[in-house]
Amino acid sequence: MTAVVLDKVTKVFNRGRADEVTALAEVDLTVGDGEFVSLIGPSGCGKSTLLRLIADLIEPTTGTVRVAGKEAGRARRDQDYGIAFQQAGLFEWRTVRRNVELPLELRGMGKGERKARAEEMLALVGLAEFAGHYPAQLSGGMQQRVAIARALAVQPPLLLMDEPFGALDEMTRERLQGELLGICAQTGTSTVFVTHSISEAVFLSNRVVVMSARPGRITAAIPVDLPARDEAARQSERYFEHVTAVRQALRGVPATT
Amino acid sequence: MRRILAILAGLLVIVALWEGYKAVGNPDGTVLFGVRVLPRADDLSMPHVWTVLQRLGRPELTGGRPVWIVVLQACLFTLGITAAGFLAGAAVGLLLAVAMQRFRLVERGLLPYVILSQTVPLVALAPLVAGWGGTIMPPWATVAVIASYLAFFPVAVGMLRGLQSPAASGVELMRSYAAGWWRTLVKLRLPASLPYLFPALRLAGAAAVVGAVVGEISTGTRGGIGRLIIEYSREATSDPAKVYTAMLGAALLGLVVAGAVSLFELPLMRHRRHVEVVTL
Repeated sequence: MTAVVLDKVTKVFNRGRADEVTALAEVDLTVGDGEFVSLIGPSGCGKSTLLRLIADLIEPTTGTVRVAGKEAGRARRDQDYGIAFQQAGLFEWRTVRRNVELPLELRGMGKGERKARAEEMLALVGLAEFAGHYPAQLSGGMQQRVAIARALAVQPPLLLMDEPFGALDEMTRERLQGELLGICAQTGTSTVFVTHSISEAVFLSNRVVVMSARPGRITAAIPVDLPARDEAARQSERYFEHVTAVRQALRGVPATT
Repeated sequence: MRRILAILAGLLVIVALWEGYKAVGNPDGTVLFGVRVLPRADDLSMPHVWTVLQRLGRPELTGGRPVWIVVLQACLFTLGITAAGFLAGAAVGLLLAVAMQRFRLVERGLLPYVILSQTVPLVALAPLVAGWGGTIMPPWATVAVIASYLAFFPVAVGMLRGLQSPAASGVELMRSYAAGWWRTLVKLRLPASLPYLFPALRLAGAAAVVGAVVGEISTGTRGGIGRLIIEYSREATSDPAKVYTAMLGAALLGLVVAGAVSLFELPLMRHRRHVEVVTL
């Protein structure tokens, strides 16, 4: 089964008005089970729109979106995915643990089970001892980790992330990238990851999907094949080859690899 | 402890200003170009603080009950009306805010009238409402209606802002959890609106006190502090301290209402602000 299938998806905003914008035109994309796919491209290329279409936060103008073999709306109602945005978006009136519990609570999970699951997820992101803190007491990086724990709490087969590390400093960003890869490997989650950063996309992904703007389209899909994804990999020649390939694709130069 | 000290210090400053002005101010007031810009400082216009306090202890009329008991009883009567008006107003304000948040159309259609409602002079409205007394509701309830008419406004406006305060990402998150409008309201919008709600409630409390006092006067309801202010002010020439005792009562009423709002606020807002940040 494939995690995500987009078939000739077009999204037009403000249709029929003077400010009509074609955000996405005829996009086809398939994300396999357990695959980590990054979407990269200039601002306004529709990568966030694409993610929101998969999440059924907006509806396609034409074309079909299928998630986990179901129509996207059905998949959303079944909570077949977890989502994390650029802003952690934690609820400041809930403790860290109760933030992670939120999606479970809405699913009607019992109190004890919910608490156990939330604590397990917090341990996964290394914040077990901060369960009783309030979001405002945590640094930006820690809040983002809570948001990731929250996205993972329902143990979704698919993780959707919209520049989740965008607001973080480089150090925190690299550490969280490592943690995310570990979690995905551990849980076998498929991931669609929106980013501005070429190096981040290459380091994390099995495949980097390059997009261009006006109208938003997929211009290249570059498979990334790294033997390992650790600190050494960031210095390896293969890594830089892929970075160059993605950069060229972004500039519109035909890929050489 | 610190708060109590601050309140006491505030009281002392007010007393000092009052007595200070009495000490240096012109007894006939300061007149500039034929306009009295500063009030008279004589004992008839501004009795000494201790005169007012002494007056509280003396009987209202010869052989009657002491003034402080009369004022306190009037305060309690008005407090009941204020509470009823405040609760009704807050409930109406909440419902209006929720309806306006839910339906864009309601917001567009209703909000101008909500704002317009407060420009209608209360004294024009009061006789109309007073007419309901004794027929469809007891007379005291008409005063509560007037109080609620003033109280609903800050709640409706503040609460609407609060309900609209969650970031788009929060709303999208709730949608991603397949939560409908009601659950988004309960889990996201209502908790998010609390920092907006409490200042609005405090304004509503003050407005309810003003509404109750003015409402008592304009509907001619007996037994409350508003009525007492009018009655005592008639004696202001012979017994100037008396009317101030009633005003003290009205001020006390305002404090009690504001205190009641804080009582709800403290436990609910404990973790919302002023926390230390942990970095890791």
